[in-house]
Order: sequence, then structure tokens, then C-alpha cells
Amino acid sequence: MRLFKSLRLASRDYAHEWQMSGCFVLALAAVLGPMLVLFGLKFGVVGGMLNQLIENPENREIRPVSSGRFEPDWFDTMRRRDDVAFLVPRTRSIAATIELDSAQSSRIIRTELIPSGAGDPLLPTDGPLPDGLAQLVLSQSAAEKLQVSPGEKIDGSVARRYSGQRQRTHIELVVAGIAPAPSFPRDGAFADVRLVEAIEDYRDGRAVPELDWTGAPHDGVRSYPGFRLYARSIYDVAGLKDDLFAQGVDVRTKAGDIDLVMRMDRNLSAIYWAIAIIGLIGFSLSLGASLWANVDRKRKELSVLRLVGFRTGDIVWFPVTQAFYTGVLGWLLAIGIYFAAAYAINGMLAGQMVEGQEVCVLLPQHFLLALALTVGAAVFAAGLAGWRSARIEPSDGLREI
Amino acid sequence: MQNVFHSRNKAKPIVYHLRDVIRDRASEGVTFRLRVPSLQINQGEKIALIGESGCGKSTLLDMLAFIAQPSELAAFRFRPQPEQDAIDVALLWKKRHMNKLGELRKRYIGYVMQTGGLLPYLTVRENISLSRSVLGLPQDDTVESLARELGIARHLDKLPETLSVGERQRVAIGRALAHEPPIVIADEPTASVDPFAAEKIMSLFIGLAEERNITVVVASHAWRHIKRLGLRRLAHHTHRSKDGRTTETVVNG
Repeated sequence: MRLFKSLRLASRDYAHEWQMSGCFVLALAAVLGPMLVLFGLKFGVVGGMLNQLIENPENREIRPVSSGRFEPDWFDTMRRRDDVAFLVPRTRSIAATIELDSAQSSRIIRTELIPSGAGDPLLPTDGPLPDGLAQLVLSQSAAEKLQVSPGEKIDGSVARRYSGQRQRTHIELVVAGIAPAPSFPRDGAFADVRLVEAIEDYRDGRAVPELDWTGAPHDGVRSYPGFRLYARSIYDVAGLKDDLFAQGVDVRTKAGDIDLVMRMDRNLSAIYWAIAIIGLIGFSLSLGASLWANVDRKRKELSVLRLVGFRTGDIVWFPVTQAFYTGVLGWLLAIGIYFAAAYAINGMLAGQMVEGQEVCVLLPQHFLLALALTVGAAVFAAGLAGWRSARIEPSDGLREI
Repeated sequence: MQNVFHSRNKAKPIVYHLRDVIRDRASEGVTFRLRVPSLQINQGEKIALIGESGCGKSTLLDMLAFIAQPSELAAFRFRPQPEQDAIDVALLWKKRHMNKLGELRKRYIGYVMQTGGLLPYLTVRENISLSRSVLGLPQDDTVESLARELGIARHLDKLPETLSVGERQRVAIGRALAHEPPIVIADEPTASVDPFAAEKIMSLFIGLAEERNITVVVASHAWRHIKRLGLRRLAHHTHRSKDGRTTETVVNG
């Protein structure tokens, strides 16, 4: 009841002095708003870059620099590693092409054949995969040129020079799906490893009994000149690269880019924290000082309350209530400033960003953290000031003016 | 010590009993000392403290209202109601029971400040009711009838800033009387008002206190019209030490 009385009086005073209260709110928001924008920028820019790095499978790719001899055992061993997300053998790149033709299109296109399989990072995880010798997943550019959509049949053909004469074989293929443009921007066709191997065999003049392609019989264990390897995350790239290098396999990775962004994250974070800590100290001091000064200013009125019999504890509630209002209103205004600034910044830089990515971003928990910090600091400062003014003799406060 | 409250006048119980109460205050190298060798105030008495400002009148009033702590004291007893035992204020100060002193002030004392001391964010009605509401007293017509007697009934729903200084002092008097305390202390309640209004307000105040049989201690620098109202003047003299370092005011009565 007494507490309620204190709260009510404090609220009345706060509303009555709305100009003064408004100044305190403005002063708070003027410091907190820019800090939110700063944090939003740091979070948005670095977070966006990291996300792009993590989400773009290109950055997890590890390519052999020159061709080698990799045998199925090696693939089995490597696939068992925790840091390997996807690994399929590559055939010789000259052999890994196919000419495609469709009923709708007047032109025949020559495309790259990409060995694929379950878990291929370039294909959507929930999308169709090329399975077996009769399916392809076309890159978007290839599908557009052929004017085909999933489920339709296309004609694939491969030519070879065998026993001194030119030969060409045709194979009927089904478009199992179309890969999104960013995963493979050129003309390409994702195929089951077995199909890629079959085409290489045909080109090399070997027989492929499954497709009734004639040629010389197989000799011994197959070996591959290369592979498609993706690490599980960007953080595994460097380790895999080192292990492969130790095996004598020279590879090319985006480890440099990854390191650059991670170093930038660290540097930006250090700069941000330096600014944030200075800002936070300044913010706490300005908030504390203004609330402290406000309690001093109100000492006479607080003494009047003491005079009519308010207890020390009730008096402390008075500035604490007002500090709470200042904290919450200042926070709201700061959020308003933040949203206005973020809107402007994001609008300005929208053209240079990937669709859906923003430069200035904050999550709801960041706002809540800012609220907790602000109100906590405000209530603490006001509580301290209130307690101090409640402890002085009421007669001193009464005679001050 | 109980008997001291009946020693002088059996019919009129003693409200305040002070013996060797001292309060020192240092300011710009000069020590101001208020010394009260002995002071007794009876129930229903109207006491006037007359003197220049700065002589220590306010200090004595503040000590009587328990808002200023004596520096030294031999005895300080307070008996707001005859049927009660005397309360040892000296002991409460010693133990720093500020909230208990606040409780005594809230219940038994009304205080009129020199500059009103009204809360600017409350209406006149709420300002007057404040002393009642902290005690949890019922919202009856006390405030209205008091306001009528003080001639401020038409201002009840205004904020203090819209009132003249004299009207504000009337509101302050209203607040000091609204919770029907047995004692009212007033520190130069009319100092900031013109002499004509001052006289009117003071006689209104004393009249209201008289009706309610309230013990009044009032500080003022104008003895002439106070005298007409029948107040007992408290004897005091101020002297300055030869080196000018200390100013001592001695109050007896």
C-alpha cells in the first residue's frame, strides 16, 4: 500500500515534469540508439559474411590441383572421416562431357558431366538426385537451353574414335530435376557416378554391358584422376587440406578467404568491443550522472515526503520508479532510432547485397539485452542516489532552496 | 523521570521536555551553536520563537519535529497524548530509529514550512490530503471544510503553481492540520507574504489551532502581531564569541 503510494506519486511527478522527463529520455536514447546501430552493423556485416561463407558450398570445396591416381580404397577411407561431408570420384575431364538434345530445342548442347550422389552440397538437400544410368539433374542454364522441365526425356549422345572409325552412341535420359542457378552457373548435368564412369569407359573404347555398348573388356581396378570433395564445415577445410598435402595431394581451397573473413570478424569484434566498452562506460556514466543529479534536484520534495512521514524505504522507490520510466522510454526511443537508421542503411546498400541479406541486423534477444542493461543501470544509479538522499537529515533537504 | 511531566502544572501535561540539548552547525569557518538548557512545552500551549533569521529558530523547530538530530543531549522526551507514556526521543536518535521518528512525526505533528513545501505535481486537494493518506485516514469532508475555513475551497482542484504565495501558505497550513495532529510546528509560515496578508494568515492559523486545542510552536521575526494573538514568547539570546568563530543562541523556557 505504501509502496503503491510511492509509485503513484513518482508517476504523477514524472508526468507533471514531462519536459524534464523527456530530456532524460532523449539523453538516454541519444547514447543508446547509436550503440544499437553500431552493434547492428557489426552483427549484420560480419554475421552476413560468415553466413555466406558457411552457406556457400564453394567455400567447403577442396579441389585437387593436378590429376593423380585415386583408387576406390582411398575413397572408402576418406569417406569415413568425420570432416568429410561429400566425396565422389571424378573421371578425366575430357571424357566427362555429353551432348544433349531435346525435342523442344533445335540445338544440341555439349555439357559438362558432374559426378554426383546422395549428399551433394550443390544440389538441394530435399531435391531429386540423379540415380542410375538413366537420369540427370540439369543445371538451370542447361535446362533453359534445352527447354525442358523435370520428368521430361532428353537424348544424350557420346562420340568416340574406336578401331579407326568415328562412332556415336545415344542414351535416353530423364531429367530428374533442375539444380538452382547459384550452385552451378554454367551448362552442366549432374549424373550418377556410374553413368559418368560408363561414358568414360565408352570413350576409352571399353565395353559397358549394362548399356549394350561394345568395346574391350575391363582390366583390373579402376583408378580416378580426381575427386569432388567437400568438407563438413568451413572450419574443417584447413585441416583436410593439411592432411591431403601430407598424403602428397596438392589441393586448392578457399581457406584463404575463410581465414580472411574470420580474421576480419576477430578484428571487427575487437574494434567493436573497444567502441562498445567506451560507449557503455560513457552511457552508464551519463545515465548515472543525470539520474543522480535528478535525485539531488528533487531532494527538497523527497524531504517533504519524509516530513509527512514516508519511510526511508518508500523514498528510495521514488527515484527508482522514475529511473525505470526513463530506462524503458529511452530504450523504446533508441529502438526507434535504430530502426530508422537500419532502414536507411539497408535501403542504401540493398543493391550491393545478396537478396534477403541486410547490413544492419539485430535479433530480438539483443533488444532485450539492451533493455535489461539500461533498466538495470538506471535503477541501480537511481536506487543508490535515492538511498543516499533518504539517509541525509530531512531538515538539510528542506532548507536547501 | 516520569514525574517530570507533572512537576510544573498538573492540569496541563507536558508535551516536550528538553534538557541540555545542543546542535552545532559549521558554515564558512563559523560554528553556529543552538543550546537549549531547559525547555518544556505544555499541551495546548502556543509558543512563539521570535528572532532574526539565522539565529537558530529553524534548528530548534526541526529538532522538535525530529528532522534534525541534536549533536548532544541530556534528555529529550515527547508525550504527544496525555494518556500515553512519554517517549524517549533521545534514545530513538541514539539508535537511529529514523522510521520510528518518522512514525511519530506522521502521527502527531503537522509542519508548516516557510516556503510551503507543496508537491507541485499534486492538486491542492491532494496536497492537503497527503498527511491524511499516509496515515490511512478516511476520505471524508475534513479536507473540504478545512479548505473552506482557510478560504481556499475554490482552489482545491488546481495545481499549487497557479496559486499566489499566500494561498500556497494556506494550503501548507491545511496540510499540517488535515490529519488532526496534537502538535503543529510552523517555521516562519508568513515570512514570504506581505505584512497585511501575513497578519491575516497567522491569525487564521492560530485560530484554527485554538479551536482544535493544538499545541503550536511557531517561529517568526515579527513579534508585534504575534503578541496580539496571545502566544508565549520563548526567551532566547544570541551572542558571538570574541574571535567571531562561534555564535551561540541559548533558548530557555
